[in-house]
Amino acid sequence: MKTEIVPPLHPVAQTLDAPAGLASCPPPARWDDWTEYDPTYWPRKVEKHYRLIPTICFNCEAGCGLLAYVDRETGRIRKFEGNPAHPGSRGRNCAKGPATLNQVTDPERILYPLKRVGRRGEGKWRRVTWDEALDDLATRIRSALKDGRRDEIMYHVGRPGHELIYNQRVLHAWGIDGHNSHTNICSAGARTGYAFWQGYDRPSPDYANARFILLLSSHLEAGHYFNPHAQRIIDGKSRGAKLCVIDTRLSNTASRADYWLSTWPGSETAVILAICKIILEEELYDRDFVRRWVNWEEYLREEHPAKSCSFDEFIAALLELYKEYTPQFAARESGADPGVIVEVAREIARAGHAFAAHIWRNAAAGNLGGWQVARALQFLSVLVGAVATPGGTSPSAFNKIIPSPPLMPPAPQAWNELTWPPEYPLAFFEMSFLLPHFLKEGRGKLAAYFTRVYNPLWTNPDGMSWMEVLNDEKLIERHACLTPTWSETAWFADYVLPMGLASERHDLMSQETQAARWIGFRQPVLRVALERQGQTFNNTWEAHRAAGFGEVWEEDEFWIELSWRIDPDGEMGIRKYFESPSQPGRKLTVDEFYGWMFEHSVPGLPDAAAKEGLTPLAYMRKYGAFLIDEGGYDAHEKPLAPSQLEGATTEATSGIISYNGSAVGVTVDGTVRVGFPTPSRKLEFFSKTLKDWKWPEAAIPTYVRSHVHRENFDIGRGEMLLMPTFRLPTLIHTRSGNAKWLNEISHRNPIWMHPQDAACFNVKTDDLVKVSTEIGYFVDRVWVTEGIRPGVLACSHHLGRWRLDETSGGEKWSTALVDLQQLEPGQWRMRQRHGVRPFTSDDPDSSRVWWEDAGVHQNLVFPVQPDPVSGAHCWHQKVQVEKAGRDDRYGDIFVDTNKSHEVYRRWMEQTRPAPGPGNLRRPLWLPRAYRPATEAFYLRRLT
Amino acid sequence: MRYGFVIDHNRCIGCHACTVACKEEHDVPVGVFRTWVKYIEKGHFPASRRHFGVMRCNHCDAAPCVEICPTSALFYRPDRIVDFDNSRCIGCQSCMQACPYDALYIHPDTHTAAKCNFCAHRIEIGLEPACVLVCPTRAISAGDLDDAESPVSRLLASEKAASRKPHKGTDPKLFYLGIDGAFLQPSLMEPQPSHLFAAHNPAANQYTIEPTASAEPLSSAQVVYDVAHRQAWDWMSALYLWTKSIAAGVLIIAILTLWSSGSEKNRTAPFFAIMSPAIAVLFTGLTAIFLIAHLKRPDRFYYILIKPNPRSWLVRGTWILMAYGAVAALWMALGVLRISSPPAIYALAIALALASAAYSAFLFGQAKGRDLWQSPLFIWILIAQTFVAGSAILLIVAPFFTTSTHAVALVESYFVLSLLINGSMILTQILMPPYSEDVRYAVNLVVSGSLRRRFWWGVITMGTLLPLALTVYSVVASAFAIEVLAALMALVGLFIFDDVWITAGQAPPLS
Repeated sequence: MKTEIVPPLHPVAQTLDAPAGLASCPPPARWDDWTEYDPTYWPRKVEKHYRLIPTICFNCEAGCGLLAYVDRETGRIRKFEGNPAHPGSRGRNCAKGPATLNQVTDPERILYPLKRVGRRGEGKWRRVTWDEALDDLATRIRSALKDGRRDEIMYHVGRPGHELIYNQRVLHAWGIDGHNSHTNICSAGARTGYAFWQGYDRPSPDYANARFILLLSSHLEAGHYFNPHAQRIIDGKSRGAKLCVIDTRLSNTASRADYWLSTWPGSETAVILAICKIILEEELYDRDFVRRWVNWEEYLREEHPAKSCSFDEFIAALLELYKEYTPQFAARESGADPGVIVEVAREIARAGHAFAAHIWRNAAAGNLGGWQVARALQFLSVLVGAVATPGGTSPSAFNKIIPSPPLMPPAPQAWNELTWPPEYPLAFFEMSFLLPHFLKEGRGKLAAYFTRVYNPLWTNPDGMSWMEVLNDEKLIERHACLTPTWSETAWFADYVLPMGLASERHDLMSQETQAARWIGFRQPVLRVALERQGQTFNNTWEAHRAAGFGEVWEEDEFWIELSWRIDPDGEMGIRKYFESPSQPGRKLTVDEFYGWMFEHSVPGLPDAAAKEGLTPLAYMRKYGAFLIDEGGYDAHEKPLAPSQLEGATTEATSGIISYNGSAVGVTVDGTVRVGFPTPSRKLEFFSKTLKDWKWPEAAIPTYVRSHVHRENFDIGRGEMLLMPTFRLPTLIHTRSGNAKWLNEISHRNPIWMHPQDAACFNVKTDDLVKVSTEIGYFVDRVWVTEGIRPGVLACSHHLGRWRLDETSGGEKWSTALVDLQQLEPGQWRMRQRHGVRPFTSDDPDSSRVWWEDAGVHQNLVFPVQPDPVSGAHCWHQKVQVEKAGRDDRYGDIFVDTNKSHEVYRRWMEQTRPAPGPGNLRRPLWLPRAYRPATEAFYLRRLT
Repeated sequence: MRYGFVIDHNRCIGCHACTVACKEEHDVPVGVFRTWVKYIEKGHFPASRRHFGVMRCNHCDAAPCVEICPTSALFYRPDRIVDFDNSRCIGCQSCMQACPYDALYIHPDTHTAAKCNFCAHRIEIGLEPACVLVCPTRAISAGDLDDAESPVSRLLASEKAASRKPHKGTDPKLFYLGIDGAFLQPSLMEPQPSHLFAAHNPAANQYTIEPTASAEPLSSAQVVYDVAHRQAWDWMSALYLWTKSIAAGVLIIAILTLWSSGSEKNRTAPFFAIMSPAIAVLFTGLTAIFLIAHLKRPDRFYYILIKPNPRSWLVRGTWILMAYGAVAALWMALGVLRISSPPAIYALAIALALASAAYSAFLFGQAKGRDLWQSPLFIWILIAQTFVAGSAILLIVAPFFTTSTHAVALVESYFVLSLLINGSMILTQILMPPYSEDVRYAVNLVVSGSLRRRFWWGVITMGTLLPLALTVYSVVASAFAIEVLAALMALVGLFIFDDVWITAGQAPPLS
């Protein structure tokens, strides 16, 4: 049964290196019946027969391709390999890809719906039918909608998948503004910085073709999009690109860098602006690009009306604006070597258009004014003209596609102030992490609250405030947790509803992983396998039942079913969006839904499918991914077609072309081009929006002194800066707790401390320290390392999982059993009773668990610190450090939620609330997730 | 055709995908690894850096594991992949001593050895190993080193490659590009009390992770992540060496005494004709029992006989021991029948006794992973030990028999002489300049590390100096009971030495 070496059939796979001697993957033509020898019996040749069915990894945001090997005899998934047809991941995965098998076969996973019995949080559950759960939730939602309490329905989602417009479709069909996300504790800062420049909130660096790569991130080990980006960063490096990493801590990524700048957290903007200044001063910028695409004329008109409106005047103004950002100033602020700053600046200029840069969380998520780090970074890309160039950084939308679904409902006339409060008119995403405080303040209540692949109690700052409101049945009347596993949050739900994992549901992905546009198709592998055997199912959960996987549902069908039950006869106008597009009155099926999109919304897919004699859906079921096109550079330069100019007006001074009141293009050197989706259609060095919305001092890229500026610290008195936000390459928030192979590799999160600091506190590796914030403290071990700047502590946020019950409520591979006590109202003390222990289960490995450490849950003791502009939580903490006392034990946590509410109020005072110009809640042009109808943007319409 | 790996650490990002993909492909249990990514850190802030090293079987062309494996459970495939067949494995763990790269482990369910087998089951159908396929940055390449066009050959032709421990003569077929030099000398790294994002597995060899025994740090490379390796051989192995030295020594000393005394009467005296061979038979039997008991698959002990690898000194040793046991039994039988043994029996017995004593040096020599055990002195120490053990056991039993005082005096002199020789050889072994870093590591552990008490008090003081002093005293004072005590102490000292030798030999980290 020697495999002949055949060229891969798939157009994407053809671009991979030809296999020399050994093939990476079985040829797609044989995926439906593939024979391999069973390694368990090797060297005896025992043949196993598999169906290879592609799907998408569930673990991080990258949406890498997986190829599930379904045993044709047992119907079980034997393993997950990479999908070679996936353009982003190219058949390769990080450790979390193969670990999907652990998650699917997790002996502790929840297979049937559970309903709380007794008090919420008491931990008593009974199995219920899906009908019971769905009917109860549908009734509550229906009555809330009927009563006009539509703000009381909230869907709070983590990642990944079934998001964006596919879920927007559901909530908008219900007529609500009910989406809530995790983004403001994550990437909202960077998004804000990018969006104010270019209207698009994400960067898409073209690493593979770059000559210089600047990362304020750790993309060789984490982040959007770890595996696809790491591949291409290393490809770029191997072709000679230089890599500079700005990160306070020695990440794996920094370890591979040519230049590592360990900056004092929050000083990054100063360093980048110093680089910009060198490039300006030494005239290394791309004069033509800046002249053509930056809104410098608007800047001069608004800020220097007395000066002549010439480009040289603009450059002179820039030199004046940034004159204090000398390398020495940047070095004072950051601690970085000024010589290296100059060298890096010149290297970046040398790379020119092939300069790729990236920030996603890191400093942007850590600091007050963190969004300005991204803004400064984009400034640098703009100066050297490396925007949407080969080797440069494109806006995400140039490398991404969101296929339109059938039947999009209209945007609702609704604005939910629990997620989009007037204090944060410019917040880039929902003020999700303030929800407990809003509820406590009496801003509203929730009739139905859904959490999905989200664990706010654990993941968000100030988790104890979350626990308090989750436990309050008056504030949150029903809480349904859609989850395949137990979590800290699920423990405080009314329903725990098992939803499918990576290989157990449908989903459509498209990520800006490289200079290309592609889609990836997540599909329920067991259902597909059983259907190929001739069985038919109306719903995925029936296939799971047939395969012995309990009653695990998938989201698509859940929302269709729930919507039908909310509006059973269609009188509310909801049901019609969940009916078959071809046979109205019949329930929409996932085959129809995705089949319709693949047929109508994915350019080139129907043709590619036809070439293989397949329907577009069958093609996607076979390959799991499709490459639409590559390149996508310079999309902003695209001229507007004459047809698009009909009926459009041109504004004389700015050259902006408008249609129906919104800008659609801009005249550049006499040609009308698409430009960027900003008010000026250009790259906005100067944001009139920020000026108009009461932030004139932030209208241009500016260094904001962070709340953890080094001058705020009295090091001698034990004050230090804690950076609590870094990932490990092996884990993914609270989704990987049931992956034994990952937890075996990583299971503790000690506090990184420089030897100099360790000497001051008289501690060595593994000694306990007590770290106090404004609202409480935690006790953790110390890791003394040369990989951190003196004065700064670092601690990974991936660990510290806990459960309240010995037998249930948390994955035993990764959780510590804790006691939680309320000492006084709002004063909570958590103490570990024991760490991870071996346990008996169907998996013999569970009795071989050798690690005891579950880490320490630091996020509980962080107050909320919302940035007044971006709304992003500023994660970095000023802490007081001391050697642990006699009564302190590893993992001890104390929190006072009264204090956390005080801190919340203090940060709220920094806001500059709506209305803005025109009595708007939010600038109309500024992107908003689940955008409501334009009318809803106006405050007067609702009051 | 020769399959080999090239791992490019200019491309490796330390993500552990290979580790997990391997676990998935082979269903490798929790606690053990076929491949893993070691992390070290070097340098001072802000010039500090972390380095990764992907560790696994080197698929050696001269694989010590294949040579030592008594049942050929480890074998070369025609494409020179070093594969294994766990249905032949008896769990002797000698492969784990032979491998200089820590590649093998014992599967907790099958209790047999396992390691990376290059995904031979995939190679067989033309597919890359699972780790090669998964690697995000294509840091791992696999291919035919004999084919100039293969990806591995092309890499090796154009880049500077390193391999681990080439001086071991193993001809590894795993080549590294851009690996940090510290990975090539693991015993120079500084272990840490725990790891960056993991704890130490409590099953790990504690001697490997204890802080470097030497006073000053030899290297600035700190181990910040690694996986556990158990100490494969323990006191049970020391016990078998010990019983074997008694078994072999008793007849050597008996024959020497017979020859030296020149007395014909002694040849039929029960002490020499029955008691001595009986001790030899008994301790040979005990040796066999301990040998079998220390197997992870004692139920398969007879595979050594029915599926033997004649190149393995474990097999050769078994044959020698069996032959020796048979000769001793014959000697005893003749003694019981009151037939005077022919000189040929003595000659055969002494030859086989010496072989029994000495073959372990060749077995330990085949344990190529353990530098300490490669000592040229070890064979002589084993022989000296045999003399000590033989004379000691005879001194202990002598009071129960009517033996000529001349003979006892001869045994006494062998005892004193062999103790002196053994002690000085041990000291020479320990105090001579170490011939490798691993030996320095092991010797430091013995001289000044956590084995120092066992060595200085147990081996030198109680096992050598006190017995010498007591024997001299007993001769002078004619206090023969004290002589028995001296002999007992010497025997205990021998056991402690064997245990220290086995523990220290396995202490230096191999990877």
